[in-house]
Amino acid sequence: MKATFINAITKIMDTHEDCLTITADMGFSVFEDLQKKYLKRFINTGVTEQASVSVAAGLALSGYKVFFYAQASFATMRCFEQLHLDMAYNSLNIKLIGVNAGLSLNQLGVSHFSVEDIGIVRTLPGVTIFSPGNAYEMEWAMEESYHLDGPTYLRYTKLNDESERGKYPKISLGKPVRIVKENNAVILVTGGIMSMAKEAAKLLQRNGIHIGLYSVPTIKPINVKELFTITKNIKYVFTLEEHSIIGGLGSAVAEIFAETQDAPILHRFGIADTFIGVTGSVEYLLGINGLTPVKIAADIKKLIK
Amino acid sequence: MTKKDSLNLEKIAHEVRKLTISMIVKAHASHIASSYSTVEMLVYLYEKVLKINPKKPNDPNRDRFILSKGWGISAVYAMLAIKGFFSKKLLEEYCKDGSKLIGGSTRNGIPGVEATTTSMGHGFPIGVGMALAAKLQKRQNRVFVIISDGELDEGSTWESILIAAHHKLDNLIVLVDYNKWQSFGRVKDVLNIEPLTEKLRAFNWNVHEINGHEFNDIEKALISKSISKNKPNIIIAHTIKGKGLSSIEDKNEWHYQTPREKEQAEAKEKGLL
Repeated sequence: MKATFINAITKIMDTHEDCLTITADMGFSVFEDLQKKYLKRFINTGVTEQASVSVAAGLALSGYKVFFYAQASFATMRCFEQLHLDMAYNSLNIKLIGVNAGLSLNQLGVSHFSVEDIGIVRTLPGVTIFSPGNAYEMEWAMEESYHLDGPTYLRYTKLNDESERGKYPKISLGKPVRIVKENNAVILVTGGIMSMAKEAAKLLQRNGIHIGLYSVPTIKPINVKELFTITKNIKYVFTLEEHSIIGGLGSAVAEIFAETQDAPILHRFGIADTFIGVTGSVEYLLGINGLTPVKIAADIKKLIK
Repeated sequence: MTKKDSLNLEKIAHEVRKLTISMIVKAHASHIASSYSTVEMLVYLYEKVLKINPKKPNDPNRDRFILSKGWGISAVYAMLAIKGFFSKKLLEEYCKDGSKLIGGSTRNGIPGVEATTTSMGHGFPIGVGMALAAKLQKRQNRVFVIISDGELDEGSTWESILIAAHHKLDNLIVLVDYNKWQSFGRVKDVLNIEPLTEKLRAFNWNVHEINGHEFNDIEKALISKSISKNKPNIIIAHTIKGKGLSSIEDKNEWHYQTPREKEQAEAKEKGLL
């Protein structure tokens, strides 16, 4: 994902003179080449997330499209008011990149976890939210981010799906991507944790339960019509994300289903609504939140029996 | 500055105060004192400095003016109406139901209003971004920002001070409306910002300290030889909150209250209402 991101942003910077990249002093082993190549259009504003977003707003008000790159937690929480007032209210061309989202920085603890970012950014009107889960989705989401007129937020985790190149369905804004055809139940997953959903689906298959699987690289807006096309004859829908069960994909789907007659039964898999006070591998931290292929498969089996 | 010049600017300042109090009284609104302390700076900038054309409010080469202390926007609306960005009649809409003439600076299509501010510490870094953009685009325009003394408490203000100096944004001119009051008390009592001049010089800014109500002083700080060629510029303007109406001068309650009978009587006496 990192390599794909670097290629994507380099390509955009190479092709579009009106594009700037700003980083709040993040980007070790990511931006070295870009920094050398673009002495003016690549700007490290220092560890100043709040002013950086406002500076990006001033640049965007002067005609630039500005990618702003920081750890997902700092790109959203530290400067939320700037995102709200300077970026979103003015519908400016600021393209937020939240790297190391979810529990990616597993060893650093709660200061560097970002499991609330989708939830808080989702409250801002007019901000398109991308959560790519693999290289295909990343390439697509970066291009969309640049070309969409208005603010975007792209978050990605260290965990990623390694789909083989050349076999991925066409992606379009707001539309879930079908990975496995649906039957009686379907998993909607966003981000790199798609790999875990695939494993869980395989385990269920072995137990005779055929479950559909869709990736959701656009969290906002969700194309409601497309969602209902998928869930039309479905009894159970499961969401899975490396994000709090509050505010993310699960919430977005729940909001839609809550206002729909005869909606499917929904169960959200995600980070529990509690702080994580320990360290460990990403797999460990997900595991204590009930997120392992085995546990997910078991839970699904229990829920739909 | 000639006597005639100075008298003319004073006349315009009187007109700004007149339109401002009229808006505020009619809307039963607040922040008259915050608006009044900026009037001479606004008049000098709009009359003598800013390269702007009311007929082309979106000209990419225009100078930018941002009122970072956006709660004082009523005086800017008055100034923009005087300059012909929109009709004085529009001022009657100030803070009315459904009006776009909002009591805090909001970029919502009102010609001449460049930025959404009013939450503290936003207008300054937006101005930094605009000044940086002008440098990247090799444009000659400049960016002017008026901040409040209270905004010097904000982290984003000091982040901006670092960024602007690092990038040597000599096309950025910040004016501090140093009226010595912040929301809940005297600046020196709430959170002391002194020694301000020395601090800002140490941060690599070109600093001038002036009386913010004296046109001669304002002019001296803004003429080309006072403006740095490789540093951002900041003018610490000592002002009086509520300047121009003695019954509200240097009293913090006029950050919040609408002039009542007594103050309105004085305004009438002075030809402001």
